[in-house]
Amino acid sequence: MAVTPGWYMALAAVLFIIGAGGMLLRRNALVMFMSIELMLNAVNLTFVAAGRELNVLEGQVAVFFVMVVAAAEVVVGLAIIIAVFRRRQTASVDELTQLRG
Amino acid sequence: MNLDFLAIAPTVIIVTAVVLLLMVDVTFQMTHRWWGIAAALGFVGATTASVWQWIEHRGDDGELFFSDMLAVDGFSSFAGMLVFPIAGLGLMAGWQLVRGVGRRGAEFVALSLIAASGAHLMAASANLIMLFIALEVFSISLYVLAGFTRKGEGADEAALKYFLLGSLASAVFLYGIALIFAATGTTSMYGAKAFLDSTLILRPGILLAGIALLLVGLGFKVSAAPFHVWAPDVYQGSPGGVTGFLAAGAKIAGFAAMARVLVVPLGSYIDDWAPAIAVMAASSVIIGTLFAIAQTDLKRMLAYSSVAHAGFIMTALVAGPAGIGDMWFYVSTYAFQVVGAFAIAAVVSGALTGRSPLSDYAGLSGRSPLLAAAMGLFMLSMAGIPLTSGFIGKAAVFRAAIDADYLWLVILGLVAAVGGLFFYLRLIVVMYMQPEAEDAAHPQVRLGTRFAVGVAAVVTIVVGFVPWPLLDWVKDAIPL
Repeated sequence: MAVTPGWYMALAAVLFIIGAGGMLLRRNALVMFMSIELMLNAVNLTFVAAGRELNVLEGQVAVFFVMVVAAAEVVVGLAIIIAVFRRRQTASVDELTQLRG
Repeated sequence: MNLDFLAIAPTVIIVTAVVLLLMVDVTFQMTHRWWGIAAALGFVGATTASVWQWIEHRGDDGELFFSDMLAVDGFSSFAGMLVFPIAGLGLMAGWQLVRGVGRRGAEFVALSLIAASGAHLMAASANLIMLFIALEVFSISLYVLAGFTRKGEGADEAALKYFLLGSLASAVFLYGIALIFAATGTTSMYGAKAFLDSTLILRPGILLAGIALLLVGLGFKVSAAPFHVWAPDVYQGSPGGVTGFLAAGAKIAGFAAMARVLVVPLGSYIDDWAPAIAVMAASSVIIGTLFAIAQTDLKRMLAYSSVAHAGFIMTALVAGPAGIGDMWFYVSTYAFQVVGAFAIAAVVSGALTGRSPLSDYAGLSGRSPLLAAAMGLFMLSMAGIPLTSGFIGKAAVFRAAIDADYLWLVILGLVAAVGGLFFYLRLIVVMYMQPEAEDAAHPQVRLGTRFAVGVAAVVTIVVGFVPWPLLDWVKDAIPL
C-alpha cells in the first residue's frame, strides 16, 4: 500500500488535535507552549503534503515563513514565561489568578 | 512582477523610523524627546503615504503589487489612514509610560511603530501567507507591549495569557490557511477567488473546515465571543499606556483582515460563512453587554464593552461586500472613542499600572471637569446616543444587516444597545454624582494626553453631527 500525501494530511490533523488537546489540558506554560509548536508543525506537514499532492511550490515556501515566524514567537514567548517565573517562582497557569472579575 | 515603491511606502517609512530610532539611540543615548521625534516622523510619513495611496487607488482603482502579495486599494489605504494616526494618538497618550520605564522606552516606541505597520499590512495583504506574517508582526509586538512593565502588578500575567491564547489562535488560523490552500491549490487570495468562482467543489469539507478555522483565529483577534476570554484579563492587566492602542489596533487590523478574507477569496461561499458570523455577532453583543454590567474595574468593563462592539461590527459583515463601508465607519469611529477613553484611564489610574477600579473615577467632575466631560462623551458615543459618531455607526451597521435579511440580529443588537446604556451611564453617574475620595489626587494631564483626548473628542462630535463626508469616503474603502 502506497503512502499518499492524503495520509500525511491525516497524520497532520491528528498531530494538530494532539497539540490542541495539550494546550487545553496541560497547566504548565512551557508545556502549553510546546503544544503550540506541535500545532504549528502539524500545519507545516499539511502545507508540504498538500503542495506535493497539488504539485505546486507554494506549500513548501509557506513552511519557511511559518518556521521563521515560529522562531520569532519562541523568542518572545520564552522571555515572557521567564519573566513570569522570576516573579512567581512557578510556570503553572493555575497560579495566575490576579486578574479576575 | 509589479514593483512600485508607493505600494510599500508606509511600511518602508515605519521601518526606517524604527531602525533610525534604535540605531541612533544605541549610539548617542538620546532622551525621550528624540524618540518622540522619530515616532512622529514614522507615523506622519506613513499616514501621508497612505493618503497618497488613497488618492491614487481608492474605489475602483485598486491594484496588486509584488507578485500579488500586496493589494493597494481603497480598503488598505483607508486602514493605513486610520491605524497610523490611531497608533500615534495611543503612543502620545502612553508617553508617561515611555518616560517611566527609563532607557527601555525606546523599545516601547519601536514596538508601537512595528505593531502599527503589521496592522496596516494585515489590511493590505493579498496573500494568505502574507496575512499570517502581518498578523504575527502585529501580535508578537503586542504580546511584548502588554507586559512591558514587567514588575507592574498583573502585567506579566496579562502578557502570558495574551501570548498563550494568541499563539493558539494564530496556529488555528494558520491551519485554516493550510486547509484552504489544500482545497484551492493557491495561497493567493485573488487566485483562490478565481478558482472558487469558476469551480464547483463537489466535496467542500476541507474548504469549509478551513473557513471555520480562519473564523476562529480572526474572531480571537477581534475578541468576538466565544473567543473573547483573553480580552478582559489582558485589558485589565496591561499597563494603562498600552491598552488604548492594543484595543483600537486589534479591532482595526482584525476586522480589516476578516473582511478581506471573507469577501475576496470566500465571497462565493457567503451562504456558508454569513450564518456563522451572525451567530458570533449575536453571542458577542449578548455576552459583552451582560458581563460588562457586572464589572467594577473600568478597563475590564471597557474590555467587555469591546466584545459587544466586535459583535456590532460583525453585524455589518453578514451583508458581505455591501457591509464593508459600514464596517469601516463603525471601526474608525469606535477606534477614536476607545483610544480617547483609555487615554483618560491612563491619566486617572496611571499609565504604568494595570488596575483601574471605578472608585478612582468617583467625583472626577470636581477634580478635572474636562476629563470627566470627555470621558462622558466617549461613553455616550459608545452607548450610541444620537449626535455622537457611535449613533451613526450603529445605524449604519444595523441598516446593512437589515438589507441582508438579518432582522433578528438587528433586534438583538438594539436590545443589547439599550442594555449597554446601563454600564456606560453608570460610569457617568460615578464621575458626576459620587463624592470623591478624600485622598484623591488631582490628575496631571500632560500635553500628549490632552492632544489625544482632544482629537478623539473632536472626531466623535464632528462625525456625530456631520457624518456624510466619512459615509462617502467609506464607500470607496472597498477591497479590489
